[in-house]
This record gives sequence, C-alpha cells and structure tokens, in this order.
Amino acid sequence: MTNVYIEGIGMTKFGKFIDKSMKQLLVEASIEALEDAGNPKVDAVFVGNFMGGSIGNQEILGALVANELGLGYIPTAKVEGACASGGIALRQGIMGILSGEYDTVLIAGVEKMKHASTADVTQAINAAMDNDSNEKQAGLTFPGFFGVLANRYFYETGATKEHLAMIALKNRENALNNSLAQFQKPTTMEEIMAARIITSPLGLFDCSPTTDGAAALVITRKKGAIHIRSSAQSSGPTQMQDADDLLSLPAVRESGRLAYEKAGVGPEDIDVVEIHDCFSMTEMLAIEELGFFNKREGWLAVEQGRTKATGDKPVNTSGGLLSRGHPIGATGVAQMYQLVQQLRGTAPNQVENARLALAQNLGGTGSYSTVHILERL
Amino acid sequence: MKVYQCDQCEYASVSNKYRCPSCGTGKLQERDVSSRGSVYSYTDIHIAPAEFAHLAPYTVALIQLEESKAKVTVRMDGNVQIGDMTELDHVEDGAYIYRKC
Ligand SMILES: [Zn+2]
Repeated sequence: MTNVYIEGIGMTKFGKFIDKSMKQLLVEASIEALEDAGNPKVDAVFVGNFMGGSIGNQEILGALVANELGLGYIPTAKVEGACASGGIALRQGIMGILSGEYDTVLIAGVEKMKHASTADVTQAINAAMDNDSNEKQAGLTFPGFFGVLANRYFYETGATKEHLAMIALKNRENALNNSLAQFQKPTTMEEIMAARIITSPLGLFDCSPTTDGAAALVITRKKGAIHIRSSAQSSGPTQMQDADDLLSLPAVRESGRLAYEKAGVGPEDIDVVEIHDCFSMTEMLAIEELGFFNKREGWLAVEQGRTKATGDKPVNTSGGLLSRGHPIGATGVAQMYQLVQQLRGTAPNQVENARLALAQNLGGTGSYSTVHILERL
Repeated sequence: MKVYQCDQCEYASVSNKYRCPSCGTGKLQERDVSSRGSVYSYTDIHIAPAEFAHLAPYTVALIQLEESKAKVTVRMDGNVQIGDMTELDHVEDGAYIYRKC
C-alpha cells in the first residue's frame, strides 16, 4: 500500500506532429492533468524521456515544464530508463511522496521521434543495449532480440507466427475505439501475416511504431478515488547471451512478484492490464511472466481470446504500444492514463466494473521493468 | 572461446562479472573452451541500424556452447535452423562470426 493517489490524468493524441515541439507536447498533457486534478499546488516534477537529447538536442525537461506552467522554483528531474522511463518517473514521484518530502507531484512522459530518419531512430534506440559487447558487434538489434525469442518460443511450444498476429490484431481492434491512438485503420490477419519482415519471424505489425506524444499524471498523498496499491521495479540481463532462460524476462517476473506481494493481491485478482507490447512477442512473454497464464502457454490464452477486451484477462485495452503508439518516454505514463480511465468507468473498451488494474512498463531488452497496481476505492 | 565460470555454482557467461549473479558469492574464473555449439535460436535481420545496414539481411544466432553452460551471440550467413552444429569462423570488429560445421 503506498497511500498515494492519482488525482489527474492528461494525454495528447499519439501520432506524427511535425509542427509541435517536445515542450509543447509536454505542456499540453501536463495542463490537462493539472486541470483534471483541480489545479493543486505541485511540489516536484519528474519527466520520463529517452532520446530528447540524442535526436532532439533538448534536455532540462523537468525545468522546462516547471517554467512553462509557472510552478515556481520547485525540484524537477528528467528520468531515463529507455522505454521504461515513464514508469520509473512515476515511481520516483511515488518515492518522493513516501519519503515525506512532497505532497503532490506532477509526472509527465514525452517523446518526439517522427522528425528523425528511421536509421537515426534505430541508432538512438540501440543506446538501450549494452554497446560494449560482442553481442552488439554481432549486429543484434532491439527487434532482433525479440525475433530470436520468438523463434525459440515457436520451437518449444505449439505457437506459430499466427499467434503473434492475433496479438497485433487484438491491439489494433482495441485502438480503433481509442481516439488518442496512433493507428485507427482496421486491419486483417491476412494483412498482418503478409506484411514485410523486419527481423524474422517478426513483421511490420509485430513491431511498435515510432510516435510523437506525451502523457501526464498528478499524484498526491491526499486521499482520492484511484489508489496506487503498489509500485515495484526490477532490473534484468542487459545481454541476450546472459539470459538464464531465453523465454523469461526476469525483470518483468520479479517486478510483478514484488508488486503483487506489496499489494497483497495475485494475478487472478487483476481485472484489466496494460502490458509493454513493444513487440507482439513481448506481450506473449509478459502475460506469462506476470502470472496470468502458465509459462509457455500464453499462446493458448491468446488463441482462446482470453486477452481481448471481452476476455477474462483484458490486456492492452488502449491498443497497446503496437497500435496506441510508443512515444518511448511517454509510454509508461500513457498506460496509467488508460487504467485510470478504466477504473473511473470512462475508458475506450471499458471493462465492466474494473476495480484492480495492473501496468507493466519495460526498458531495453529486459533491462528494466516497473509494475504498478491501481485500485478503485 | 573464453568463458567465465563460477567457482561456486554452475553459472557461466562469455562476459566477466565482479561476482556471480546466480549464487551471489562465487568468483568467475576464465576458462578456454571449444567454440563449437548448437544454434539455440536465431533471427534474420532485414532492418538494421545505419552501422550494419550494408550487411542486411544477416543472421544473428544464439549459440549454446558444447563445453560450457554459457551461450554466445554470433553473426552468421545464410540459412540456419535451431539445433544446427556451428563453430567459430573468425572474429571481426569484436563480433564472433560463426559457420555451420
Ligand atoms: Zn555462482
């Protein structure tokens, strides 16, 4: 129990916004969250961001937010944890409140990627791998890691590329109902299966897109309707060749275990889930690692439609990273945006009477993971 | 092929660490083993970052070494399948380039 509450949420549309700066996106989401929270006094700001420096030449994001919003000379910081930057920023805010230092904290996450070339973005994303290694020199890429996992998963289970396509299709169908999602065009199994290969067996629809966007939260010790029941974080191997079990993401497993333990609940109690589906294969492994389904049996649950919005364990009702979009530093915060809406009863793909919600945010090829469990009071 | 083997438990890795991440107490000892191993899994990379774009498409494989618990990530050319026997061909810019054997 953290006794920290989410009081306000904000999020920009996700997509391509060439005419908006990273600062504009940050400010837009933050103002919406502050207004939603009733404009409380803010004691600190934590911003999740990954490549603002490398492809945008813009840092000091915390101070930018405080100044643009006129929050005063309060402490701020940017938090970097690759694709888990947003989840870790939220956790830093929670820690700040738990320490007694702050009462109310603004959390924001942002990324602006669409202005850069694919080669430059791919290069920047590779900063989230261990670059001083024979593995990097071999030419392993970020998507490549999940391609290697997928081929092994197929080898050890009855799963095929179609099961990954089912995940991609499910998340696209969910995004169709989410007006803030990047992809709003319907697709089909045939189109997904026939799409060009990025890194075998993963095709275009198995990989999250590059995205511009921001999301924000106001968290506070003042009791409210949405309680952060637990916050947990773990690290994992930074190289594929160091994985003890290639079909495990230890950071996801351990952060999930800690979050359940702190919250005093189990995977069976969770009503709605946002999972870090940077690739369709990542969602497959994460639903197993978080205990929703047995190891190496997640594909059966996918086949049975159990993770659809209408299933018994709805995963990524927002559309997930695959179809809501993946502005890297914003993703962990955007997951909370969707879950708070689920608990308020106002979400796209609303799960009836949702009371307990779980978000899992992954950084690197399993290097970082955060899990937050929310409850409606 | 150099591997680092824990002196207290089964753990082994191709990269050295301050202490054994598995048992938490052991020290890793450098050991020379055969480069031979079987393909544990692989991917054919079609979209590569700028520095590897001239090689694409290329295969990256994870090799389970025969004489150690350690696995090693390597680059290969052409068709590979899980279970194929492989060995080191040469080292190039710090990368292990493997071939089938
Ligand atoms: Zn050991």
